[in-house]
Amino acid sequence: MRRLSLAAGVSLAVFTLAAPLFLERGTLNDVWSLAFAVILASAWNILGGFAGQVSLGYSAFLGIGAYTTVLLSLKGMDPFLSLPIGAVLAAIFSVAIGLPAFRLRGPYFTIATIGVGEAVRVCASSVSFTGGSSGLRMPAGSFDFTRNYEAMAVLAILTVVVAALVKRSAFGQALAAIKQDIDAAEALGVNSTRFKLGAHALSAAIVALAGSLYAINFQYIAPGSVFDFRLSLSIVLMPIVGGVGTIAGPVLGALVFSTLQIKLLSIPALRDSYLFIYGTLLIVVMLFEPKGILGLLRRVFNRRLRRFYADA
Amino acid sequence: MPEPILRVKALKKRFGGLLALSDVSFSVAEGEIYGVIGPNGAGKTTLFSCLVGSLPPTSGSIRFRGREIAGLPNHAVVKRGLVRTHQIVRPFRDMTVEANVSIGAHFGAGKRRGADARGRVAAILERTGLGARAGSLAMALPIGDLKRLEIARALATEPAVLCLDEVMGGLNPSEIVAAMSLIRAIRDSGLTVLMIEHHVHAVAGVTDRMLVLNFGEMIAEGVPRDVLQHPEVVTAYLGDDAGAA
Repeated sequence: MRRLSLAAGVSLAVFTLAAPLFLERGTLNDVWSLAFAVILASAWNILGGFAGQVSLGYSAFLGIGAYTTVLLSLKGMDPFLSLPIGAVLAAIFSVAIGLPAFRLRGPYFTIATIGVGEAVRVCASSVSFTGGSSGLRMPAGSFDFTRNYEAMAVLAILTVVVAALVKRSAFGQALAAIKQDIDAAEALGVNSTRFKLGAHALSAAIVALAGSLYAINFQYIAPGSVFDFRLSLSIVLMPIVGGVGTIAGPVLGALVFSTLQIKLLSIPALRDSYLFIYGTLLIVVMLFEPKGILGLLRRVFNRRLRRFYADA
Repeated sequence: MPEPILRVKALKKRFGGLLALSDVSFSVAEGEIYGVIGPNGAGKTTLFSCLVGSLPPTSGSIRFRGREIAGLPNHAVVKRGLVRTHQIVRPFRDMTVEANVSIGAHFGAGKRRGADARGRVAAILERTGLGARAGSLAMALPIGDLKRLEIARALATEPAVLCLDEVMGGLNPSEIVAAMSLIRAIRDSGLTVLMIEHHVHAVAGVTDRMLVLNFGEMIAEGVPRDVLQHPEVVTAYLGDDAGAA
């Protein structure tokens, strides 16, 4: 199973990188959306999946990346050079939120993050340098789909690799201990606040990078798009449906999610129903297979493997 | 006389209107096995929680290796070499026994990484009799092994003082004998041991000195033979009639 998912991951990575050679623009756009979804899901999973800290405020980091890029581009900076600045700002903001919010546990933490996400949206709508609720447009001539696609594809692959490295490291082990029993982790010397802040900052920075690329690609951002609560919700749903806390799970969830969204968006009557359908999927997953699609695949695969050995 | 490794002075812990610990003072010398006994609700576990910082003491002083540690967070106290086990075992259930112990090796006072940590973990698993269980998930272990896992994880943090909270509770007589010899072996390897035990005779057989708590107050301290004959201790354990008899 391990080798199988590694092979699938590598093929997916190669496909994503090579896609511009043989796919037409419209389909390539869909692959771009897929890469975007993979980044958001895998990055969220570092804090939400590995450390069990379910945050519903991730649109804040996406928006910080997006706004940083648009604002700096309007000042004449190369949009791509603004990416690391947005990432650093998002990481700093994540620590500022995390210091008070990580004192809360379980659902209380989650509720606090909803508040933070909404507060950021309201702030962005009411101050003037963000263009208020009407949003901001990128300067003319900043659109470059080929470059954007390449950056998004590379970032998606790097995010999955980083998540896999984190999971295997001592840092990942500390996060796993925090997820299972935070007091027992502390009792063995794990500084839980520091590790949670670290995981939060890392995932916030990655999400901000994706947010910058999003802004460059869509050329226009507004609080209602990048700070949308539904976006925060989708970021959480993908890893949960795919298999929370794993490496392949968020990727699978992102695949399902972005495919579903693309298909539904093309049917006008169902345009706004994707969250409803996704919510139903979430309930089904929670009830029947809390380990997500990946857990389901593992069960099926193990059964077939057992049958294979029984027959042999 | 050398400075004691742990010196507790006028330690107090209040939960609202309840004084869980009032003016507890004692010292533990390096290399000692020091017992803490008392009836249910006497404040024994609260005392341990205050020592390691998982509960902040209301007032009082805790000097460990010559430095004040009262009020430090739990993880910081562990990194200085004072660690506890939990009476109700708290394994990381979805992790293997080996991974459980390596958390202590990575983040305790030793801060070991890589092969160094793995070697240390393997040695501790052997020593605590969990060698054959290294690859099992913690959730699959019987209670005796889970108690040993608590000790193994605490040892992996490389403490100078190990606080054991009722590690013999729920064990059968032959397991108690094994636990007592493990505790002696831990002391002989250079550690200082504090132990809470419900089982008075088990603790009397292994400790050098002991402290008796009742309703948060110290009622006796000294070598086990004297302490167990102390009239207040007899009363606390057996009731007034027995004390009069």
